[in-house]
Order: sequence, then structure tokens, then C-alpha cells
Amino acid sequence: MFLARVTGHVVATQKVASMIGHKLLTVEPYRVDEAEGRSLVPTGRTFVVVDTLGAGLGEMVLVCQGSSARLTPETEKLPIDAVIIGLVDAVDLGGRTIFRSQDSDFARGAAEAADRASDHSR
Amino acid sequence: MRIGDVIGRVTLSRQHPSLPAGRLLVVRPWTRDAVLEGAASRGEDLVVYDHNLGAGVGTVIGLSEGREAANPFGKTRVPMDAYCACLIDSIS
Amino acid sequence: MQLARVIATATATVKHPTLAGERLLVVELLAADGRPEGEPILVIDRLGAGRGDRVIVTNDGRALQELLGPTTPGRWSVLGIPDS
Repeated sequence: MFLARVTGHVVATQKVASMIGHKLLTVEPYRVDEAEGRSLVPTGRTFVVVDTLGAGLGEMVLVCQGSSARLTPETEKLPIDAVIIGLVDAVDLGGRTIFRSQDSDFARGAAEAADRASDHSR
Repeated sequence: MRIGDVIGRVTLSRQHPSLPAGRLLVVRPWTRDAVLEGAASRGEDLVVYDHNLGAGVGTVIGLSEGREAANPFGKTRVPMDAYCACLIDSIS
Repeated sequence: MQLARVIATATATVKHPTLAGERLLVVELLAADGRPEGEPILVIDRLGAGRGDRVIVTNDGRALQELLGPTTPGRWSVLGIPDS
């Protein structure tokens, strides 16, 4: 599994019949920063995932990928390879909390990162 | 399976109902240099499920990935792609 | 299947019950030119390969499930030891 932040909704009017009615989100995987191990940092990659838990924009989620993504009742018949299986409350590294969902600093940082991303796309 | 250091834990505020109780570990996989030369280099971290082996920060584990990570649950379908299969005592 | 080289052996007392009594080797997969590729992996070995040996490994989980039962989380195992 990997940690990722919800970056957007995907709306596709044209899709294979089995996908009708399923919510798709784009997420950006995050990783523990390599040098200091004190924060979660974005990786710059993007995945499209199925959401069955009602994740919101900017939220940190746990994603299961590969054929295992079909091992839920909602996704067992879908042609998908990534599904959100949890909404992240906190990430602790040896007693130090490096992410907490209630932490407004993180939410602000995530919003700024999203702004920068949309600036790049313009 | 890859070899990895447990460096932390993830807690969820909400989870898919098919996910059984267990610990979610933040794990950094060992590189070749880590095995051969004891180097500090590690690969990109991932989140691994520990059902009941009791891994914690500092533990070195063997982690199973892909569809096999869901095998221990038998016929119960569990969305699982990384599973803590063993706690490593030594590598030599 | 892939060619690999054994770079270490591992021991694990606490493990999934299907792995009880099995030997664990640490191998590096070898690319076409013989150079190692990717991160090292743990494989189950019943053939007695040792450090430095070249081995043939498979990532067919079903092969292991036949040996260790359907609930094993293991995927990689040693299929053979090339003669040369």
C-alpha cells in the first residue's frame, strides 16, 4: 500500500459499462522525506483510483494497488488496479508524528502545493 | 518478498470494512548495498500490513507484495498488497 | 523464471506459519548482461543453495502454494541450481 493525497476528481462520461457509478479520484503518492525523515513529501506521480470511502480533496489516503485492488465487494468485478482502503489519521515515525489529518499546517501546505501544481498546468 | 526496516506506523480514521484489524507499518526496503555492505541506503517507503507478528519501529521484516499478500486471508477477500510475512533475526 | 545470485542467507524465528522450517535466501536478480537489477529479494529454498551460488528463481506464487499451502504469503522460490 502507499500513502497519497487526493488531488482531484475524474469525470469520464465515456467509460466501460462496469465503471458506471464508481467514483474516480486522482491522487499523488507521498513518501517519507529521504534525508531527514521528518515529513511526508510529494513524489510528483499521479494515479487514478476508485474511492468507496468518500475521500475529500486534499485528504491523505491509503491506496491498495495491483490485482489486490479487486479484493473488495465493490471492486471485485471492475477492471481497476488501485483502490482507496483507508483515510489516514496520522503517520508516526518512532514516536514523532510527521502527519496528522487535523493539522492545519499540513492542510495549508497541501493547498499551496495544489496551487503550485495548477500554476504549472496553466 | 523484499527485506525492509520498519520506521513508523500509519493510523486510519476510517477504513474499508474488509480490512481486518492489524498494524500498518511504514517500511523502507533494503537495497543491494544495504545487504552486501551494511550501507544505510534504502528504497522508497511503502505501507505494509502486520497481522499479528508484532513488528515495530526498528524491526527488520520480510514483506510479501502483490496478490500473494492477500493469500493468508484464505477465501476471505481482503484488499491487501503488502504483508509482513516474517521478522528477520539475522542476515549473513 | 529469472537467474539470480545468492548474496546472503536470512533467519527468521517469528514468521507466517506456512514458512516454518523453510530456508530463506537473499538473492539479487541478474540482468541479461549478468549485472544485478532491482532490490534484493527473499526466496524460499529447498535445494540447499549457498552464498555465491547462481540459482534459477520463479515468482510464480502457485508453485510455492503447492509446497506450503494456499495461504502462504510467499511468492519467490528456488527452482534449480544451474550446472555452470
